[in-house]
Amino acid sequence: MSDSARFSLDRRNFLIASASAALAATALPGCAASVNDSSSGGAKGGGTISVMTTEDPKTFQADAQKALGMTIRVMKYDPSKLNAMLASKNPPDVVRGIGALETPYFAKRGLMTDLDPYFAKSSALRTTDLDPVNDLWRFDGQKQGAGPRYGMAKDYSQDSMFWYRTDLFHEAGIDLPSDTEPLSCDEWLDLGKRLTKRRLGKVKVYGLSAGGMGTFAQLTSLTASAGGSVFAEDLASVDFSAPEARKALQWILDYTRADIGPNVANPNPDGWDWPTYQANRMAMATDGYWFGGSFLDDPKIGELSRFAPAPQLGSNRVSPCFGATGFWIPRESKNKDAAWKFFEWYFGGKPAQDRATGGWGIPSLKSLQAKMPQEKPFQKQAYKVQENEMKYFSTLSFTPYAEVTALEAVLNKVLPGAVKSNTPTGKIADELNQRMNEQLARGKELAG
Amino acid sequence: MSTEQLSRSVRGARASVEARRPAGRPGRRRASLRTRRAWAFYLFSGPWILGFLTLTVFPLGYALWLSFTNSDGLSPRTEFVGLANYREVFSDPDTMTSLARTGVFTAVTVPLSLVAGLLLAVLVNQPIRARGLFRTLLYLPAVVPPVGAALTFKMIFDRDSGSANGVLDLLGVDGVSWLVDPYAHWVLIMLTLWAVGNVMIISLAGLQDIPREVLDAARMDGANAWQTFTRITVPLLSPVLFFQVITGVIAALQSFAPLLISLNSTPAGVTAVPQDNYLYMIHVFAQTFANGRYGYASALLWVLFAIIIVITLLIFRLSKGAVFYSFEPEKAKKTPRTIGSAR
Repeated sequence: MSDSARFSLDRRNFLIASASAALAATALPGCAASVNDSSSGGAKGGGTISVMTTEDPKTFQADAQKALGMTIRVMKYDPSKLNAMLASKNPPDVVRGIGALETPYFAKRGLMTDLDPYFAKSSALRTTDLDPVNDLWRFDGQKQGAGPRYGMAKDYSQDSMFWYRTDLFHEAGIDLPSDTEPLSCDEWLDLGKRLTKRRLGKVKVYGLSAGGMGTFAQLTSLTASAGGSVFAEDLASVDFSAPEARKALQWILDYTRADIGPNVANPNPDGWDWPTYQANRMAMATDGYWFGGSFLDDPKIGELSRFAPAPQLGSNRVSPCFGATGFWIPRESKNKDAAWKFFEWYFGGKPAQDRATGGWGIPSLKSLQAKMPQEKPFQKQAYKVQENEMKYFSTLSFTPYAEVTALEAVLNKVLPGAVKSNTPTGKIADELNQRMNEQLARGKELAG
Repeated sequence: MSTEQLSRSVRGARASVEARRPAGRPGRRRASLRTRRAWAFYLFSGPWILGFLTLTVFPLGYALWLSFTNSDGLSPRTEFVGLANYREVFSDPDTMTSLARTGVFTAVTVPLSLVAGLLLAVLVNQPIRARGLFRTLLYLPAVVPPVGAALTFKMIFDRDSGSANGVLDLLGVDGVSWLVDPYAHWVLIMLTLWAVGNVMIISLAGLQDIPREVLDAARMDGANAWQTFTRITVPLLSPVLFFQVITGVIAALQSFAPLLISLNSTPAGVTAVPQDNYLYMIHVFAQTFANGRYGYASALLWVLFAIIIVITLLIFRLSKGAVFYSFEPEKAKKTPRTIGSAR
């Protein structure tokens, strides 16, 4: 055999070799994961877990590594990246999530780890100590609030309550809202209009930011307050034509047209209310108790701020929680035991104590709720208002057939144009129904 | 000819070659040289080919498979849906509108950036003082990462605290909501033109490649500046301009810039892009990550791929006769010049 034949390296052979190498390369992550699985050491110390969160790693990474004796790899929370990682079955070990809105969707698709066996064995996190808000992380295959626990809230708030700036109220000569009696939504909108300051087409001070947790959540809360529900009983369709939902939609349209705060047609470039509120440019911010934690960075704003009950659209007084933000462990996590150790430390250890005293939400463990801050006047007032509001605490079931971003997407697509063109509310409701129900039907077909 | 006859004649030909080959080392040396060259070639091109197969061919194939399914990436019940996704592409009004909008965006930004870039290149090619400084300043925006440029634009055009409305305020004119419809589209076009320095620098390189003697000869023949520019400079620059048209069109069709100047920075932000800026790639991203329609989004991408190929071929065809090459590409391919060969 000649040399050239023995070392044949023609194009065909080379491409075959390259393709094989490429295929091997695509398989590598799987192999790497397997290797990681067997060598992680699990909960016995050592090993590595990855945590996807919005939190600054500086606030917990070093402490967690020291306390748990493992390496914590932190990645910035990014829903697109998370979906891609879940789709490729290579998710982080611990993921930040909004229990109220995400649990049904992910649990229905079998993407979350059932944490009941872990809770049963844990001495740091006892189910008897869990605040009922943690039930938003439960899903029985059909509805939220029952069945296995898939995650846990770090803290929570009743998200339709609002904070307001007393100085801006005094400047406008308006009486402060009651600490116990809720405003009606019409009164609230009127207050927002009176508190808004404009100059040459620009808003100098926003009177009211009404949708801290997004327009869809706001719509479901308003509809509940009017005595109805956006979703049908089986959570597989929406109906904005029903009187209560239509009333809620009308209020959102009125608020958007009034242009008195960030809205679906003119979103907040900062993504949340604090920068505008802190800059003396927002009189009322619809954010729950957690927002008070921001005042620790700027005590002067805290002195000027007070907390108020959730305004009501109808006679059915409700004050829901749309968040219950916390963590969950994906089913494909390779280090579940180690991830649970992180859970115990984060939800039951020092970080939980620090969060409770910091005012960044109501602690999700009943045993920590006595530690909520009450030193400063605004903290005392907020605590009292919150204590009274707890009587009206409610949760709203979310559909397992679509992610909230998909439904929010429909609102983003339909509402700005409709507001601009003064489309009748009935027609808008029909379009929302058609688009959202298509999305939900597709989800139901896939999820079963 | 039978198989046996064929193999006999092949064996005969091999034997005759072996007989004519000088004995010993020279034959082996030739083979070894050929093998070494092949190894060197594949060693250098191998990493790229491997990357191309892993990061381009494999994802393309995977996306093609996805485009025939109803996959949402997460649900276990993914099913084969045949051409349903492709049929939906052509019946979905959102897709058609976003495609039309992308066409308009391309038709506006590509010629504008080409003309602006060429004019700037001509300007900084003049023998003026501080020419280097001007070149640097004009090219600088193209070096700024698009995200940084977009953030700056968002700050400038913010309705309530932006400097654009600050200027209007000084003039006593009402402020404008620049970043929402109907003005957001103009801000997007401005942001796209902000990076015109790229076109300028490539055109400048082309201008400097034009032989001085050709321009001098034109002037001596009585051509004025405009005639020299339109009849000498532009034709000689046409291959460079043609290259920029092709790359510009492809980039514009794939533009993702609207997301960068979107006001809504929440996860649903991609769907909060103002409708006038809702371009095709934004639609693809929204379908993938906001609506979780991996299958449909893959079909959208394959349709875009086909559109890009068709438009590129169309531009090539339409440009025949309009692009002036100073040599014949086909002839050059047939008789490649090598080091040491006579000119």
